[in-house]
Amino acid sequence: MPSRMPGIALTILAALLLMIAASWAPLRESGTIVRAATTTSLYQTGLLDALASAYRSWEPSVTIHFLPVGSGEALERAARGDACVVFVHAPSLEKEYIGKGAITMHRIIAFNYFVILGPPNDPAGVREARDPIDAFKRIYMAGERGEAVFVSRGDNSGTHVRELMLWSRAGLDPRGKPWYRETGQGMAETLVVASEMGAYTLSDIGTYLRLSKEGRIPGLTILYDGGSELINIYSVYLASPCGGAERRAAESLISFVSGPLGQEIIARFGVDKYGRPLFYKAEGNLTWLEEEWEKLAGGG
Amino acid sequence: MESVLEPISAVTIRSLAISGAATLLASSWSVPAAVLAGRPGSRAGSTLVMVMESLVGVPTVLIGLLLYLLLSKSGPLGFLGLLYTPAAISIGEAILITPLIIAGAARAVEAAGKGVWLLAETLGAPPTRSASLVIRETLPLIAGAIAMGFSRAIGEIGIALIVGGSIKGYTRTLTTSIALATSMGLYETAIKLGVILALLSIGVGASARLVLERWRSA
Repeated sequence: MPSRMPGIALTILAALLLMIAASWAPLRESGTIVRAATTTSLYQTGLLDALASAYRSWEPSVTIHFLPVGSGEALERAARGDACVVFVHAPSLEKEYIGKGAITMHRIIAFNYFVILGPPNDPAGVREARDPIDAFKRIYMAGERGEAVFVSRGDNSGTHVRELMLWSRAGLDPRGKPWYRETGQGMAETLVVASEMGAYTLSDIGTYLRLSKEGRIPGLTILYDGGSELINIYSVYLASPCGGAERRAAESLISFVSGPLGQEIIARFGVDKYGRPLFYKAEGNLTWLEEEWEKLAGGG
Repeated sequence: MESVLEPISAVTIRSLAISGAATLLASSWSVPAAVLAGRPGSRAGSTLVMVMESLVGVPTVLIGLLLYLLLSKSGPLGFLGLLYTPAAISIGEAILITPLIIAGAARAVEAAGKGVWLLAETLGAPPTRSASLVIRETLPLIAGAIAMGFSRAIGEIGIALIVGGSIKGYTRTLTTSIALATSMGLYETAIKLGVILALLSIGVGASARLVLERWRSA
């Protein structure tokens, strides 16, 4: 159909031009782009955006594109060469990818603690627990007595994996119990559910503080905080397949984040908003953090 | 947290551009294909329409995943550097809505254009002229199929998430923003975004039809 060909060709051309323009516009204005894969929960705290904007005032020619995905997906994308930097907090998974040679330049950048949340009247007596394992034993017994409900993420996320580890260290298996409910959803949704049900749950500190400040989870309060079983260690890596200008920028970003300037931002982050930090800096704590990281990575 | 989410207007404009480009791209090959397939007595045409109809419901995550494996740096088309760009989303969405536009437009041509086509051919018009007459006569229906394609493109999340990456200020769309806001527990923001998405879908479909009805009756 010769007479309509120009019209069709023009449409295709216009669409292609539009797309090319859209995909190149940010590239031109900014030089190097570093693609950084990260877990959604870490991204949602806003810490990474804060680090990126500080880094940019230091190195304006570099733009960081964060890809918020799951822990496993973040590492897999790095291994495939589709991200140059990975921010994660799943030591056992990280170790697997280090073993494969997919990620290198490991730096522990921050840590914080998971918290055990529950109803303020605390029917299980978690506040009196000696350690997190004891706290989980108390929840189990209260659950069996019909006095407590536990809400689990049930989605194989880092938090869920840690929760299962705590149950297994306590020598208990709550799965299938009527008082044990799995949401299969994100942390925020799970907290809302737990609050509605007056249940116990395990959470990262960032999500809890945010929702609590917004008044969304009146049924939950922190009952147990701290203890090495609840430690959450955040690391950054360089993806091995990454090369060229992006790799150089990525290396400098990693040095920035693990260096004194980045560490200060991490230590201060969230203090103005929540009255307490969301993260502790790794600087000065590296020796014992590396030991804890090894323990978590070993699956112990 | 405000710093994590983008202003709604920026996301809306970006979504419109990405899905608009996808619709344009998909229409550029789907409409000619539909006009040819809807030609009376075309065996290959009706087979094509049948195949396209069965592909209308193909899961967006499946297209997203396949396209990701193609565009990944370790995939066959990795050298193009298209992964995590708005163009990657547009291409994926264009593939997604191709069956919908072809199936919808071909049915319209078959139903409404049959008479026109037969008449034009009897009168000895060359095929190109017949085809353009058919398009002219069935334009509102074809536009309806295209608007449906746009609605599906702008409302899908699988492709935008997997090959776009939901990068703030770059590839984050209305749907991936809704997912992000929901997973952060920011339900009000999520609902606002959802309402905008629904209005866009309805608005584009309705205005496309209105304009073309006018144009044809004028």
